[in-house]
Amino acid sequence: MKEETSNNSRRKFLKSVGLTVGAAGVVSGFSLLGAAKAVAQEPGETVNLLTQDGQLVQVDKNQLRPTVSEPLTELQKRGREGIAGKSFVMVIDLSKCRNARKCMDACQNHHQLRPDQHHINVLQMQDAEHTAPYFMPKPCQHCDNPPCTKVCPVDATFKRQDGIVLIDNERCIGCRFCIAACPYSARIFQWTEPKDAEKYKDLTYNIEANVPQKKGTISKCLFSADRLRENKLPSCVSSCPNGVYYFGDQNEDAVTNGTTHETVRFSQLIEENAGYTLLPELGTKPRVYYLPPKNRAFEFNGDLLNEENLH
Amino acid sequence: MKNAIKIIACLFLVFTFTTAVVKAEEWSVPASAKKKQNPYEASTKNISSGKKIYNINCKSCHGDATLGNMLPLQPVAPSDLGSQAFLIQTDGEIYYKVNKGNGAMPTFEKTLSDEDKWMVITYLRSFDQNKKASKKIAEVINPEVNDVRILLDINKEDKRIIANLSGLTKKGDRVALQGIELSIKVKRSFGYLDISGDDAYTNEKGEVNVQFPEDLPGDREGHVDLLVKVTDDAYYGEVNVDRIASLGLPTDPVNPLDERAMWGTRANAPIWIVLSYVGGVISIWGVIFLVLFQLMKLPKLAKTEE
Repeated sequence: MKEETSNNSRRKFLKSVGLTVGAAGVVSGFSLLGAAKAVAQEPGETVNLLTQDGQLVQVDKNQLRPTVSEPLTELQKRGREGIAGKSFVMVIDLSKCRNARKCMDACQNHHQLRPDQHHINVLQMQDAEHTAPYFMPKPCQHCDNPPCTKVCPVDATFKRQDGIVLIDNERCIGCRFCIAACPYSARIFQWTEPKDAEKYKDLTYNIEANVPQKKGTISKCLFSADRLRENKLPSCVSSCPNGVYYFGDQNEDAVTNGTTHETVRFSQLIEENAGYTLLPELGTKPRVYYLPPKNRAFEFNGDLLNEENLH
Repeated sequence: MKNAIKIIACLFLVFTFTTAVVKAEEWSVPASAKKKQNPYEASTKNISSGKKIYNINCKSCHGDATLGNMLPLQPVAPSDLGSQAFLIQTDGEIYYKVNKGNGAMPTFEKTLSDEDKWMVITYLRSFDQNKKASKKIAEVINPEVNDVRILLDINKEDKRIIANLSGLTKKGDRVALQGIELSIKVKRSFGYLDISGDDAYTNEKGEVNVQFPEDLPGDREGHVDLLVKVTDDAYYGEVNVDRIASLGLPTDPVNPLDERAMWGTRANAPIWIVLSYVGGVISIWGVIFLVLFQLMKLPKLAKTEE
């Protein structure tokens, strides 16, 4: 019996000690938190804000939190409408592309893609047996007569007034009809959980960047529609080190080079360099134009596995 | 005998050349052309490619540079292109002469590309012993001024822009600044389109006269955002002026969503698709209901039979 009681008392003792230590911990934790709060609140700087119902209120600066972005409904609405009065075009000068692949990196970074997923891909081309090989970056062509939007059963992929073809991943049911319809193989399917899905799970979905990516839906090049809204050039265009890309507004008849920032007349550039579009016989009317790979100042090196030859 | 015929033929050829070369000595180059600079650097690669082009196109008359083994034409022999007397000219002067030709010197305007011509000039420059001296362009010396301003005069009828650059001297007089390059630019979505052309240096009145491109689009009313600035900030700091002018072509942006098309979403579907789809649904359901209706009639028919 004695032993039991002693045992009991020891347990009780341990229990009580544990409780007190735990309680102390919790209390100290609270106090620390309180202290931190007090410190944060000390500089009593206030700002005047207008509330939604039109009242002017004074708010402590420390209570302000940066908003993630606009609410989803607003993003969806403006993403569907597009930018009024614009008609975006891209010109890719094949004579300058030497497979630096910076456009691909920038794109994958912007749209949260894994290295094996491409919105834009640099391909090795050779038109016939005895013709010169060359590199060809291939994004979505943003056709004026897009086959992909015709087949979508749920209005998820659509064309906006500024010429850009987008996908609403909130609507997409993953049927992949559009992948089958696209003659340029511009679309990819998220078979698995996207890259950094856990990290971005609280981010509001932005239809103009397809981020965060959603498993079981389609994704493709968007001409960086979210950057265009801020008058910035698309990610691939501004990251190219070799001056391959021109981007601009066809209504203004001007395109700007992403590397040199030189602005030139779009019609002149196409006319003087014999610009062309891919698969024109399909009648898809692409918005991406190519300049032929003539007068190249470097040797083609198709050995992609050799890192030294990449630049 | 054959030799004699050859000699006579040669003499004849030389004679015809000499008549063409009579006016060779007066070879004036416009001031604007003199200002042109070689855009290519004097790298060994450029020099050697220039040498190749020289050997194909120039050597037959001018001989090897610096060796003086040119064709002995009369009355004016082709100059030695490697001599210092020749290289005292600016890049722009040589470029102009190659382009235009004079007397026996043919024009290379169309036969050589711009790049090829500059490569040849790069090659010839490599013989220049005082490179820096030869590169200097005769600069106009402007008086020391402050409060530098650009005044814009826009002629809407013939779409001309006249920019006037002037500054205030210490005495308080406003004087025109000469020989300064101006950039005339039009604002576009992602940058400025330069429309100043090749020769946008101010003249003695301090003016630059530029033709606005006839077919450059503006907004709905034809307004464009102009920016005129002194190209090189090193002269007077940043001097610029911007102006909204109605010089552009009025353009009404086309909204592709205004038309009904196959690629449009549900709201933009073509009428015939909407009609045939709705018609199809109605007719199929109609048939089904018709059959059901007939089936419901059966028991009634059976009763009346009885």
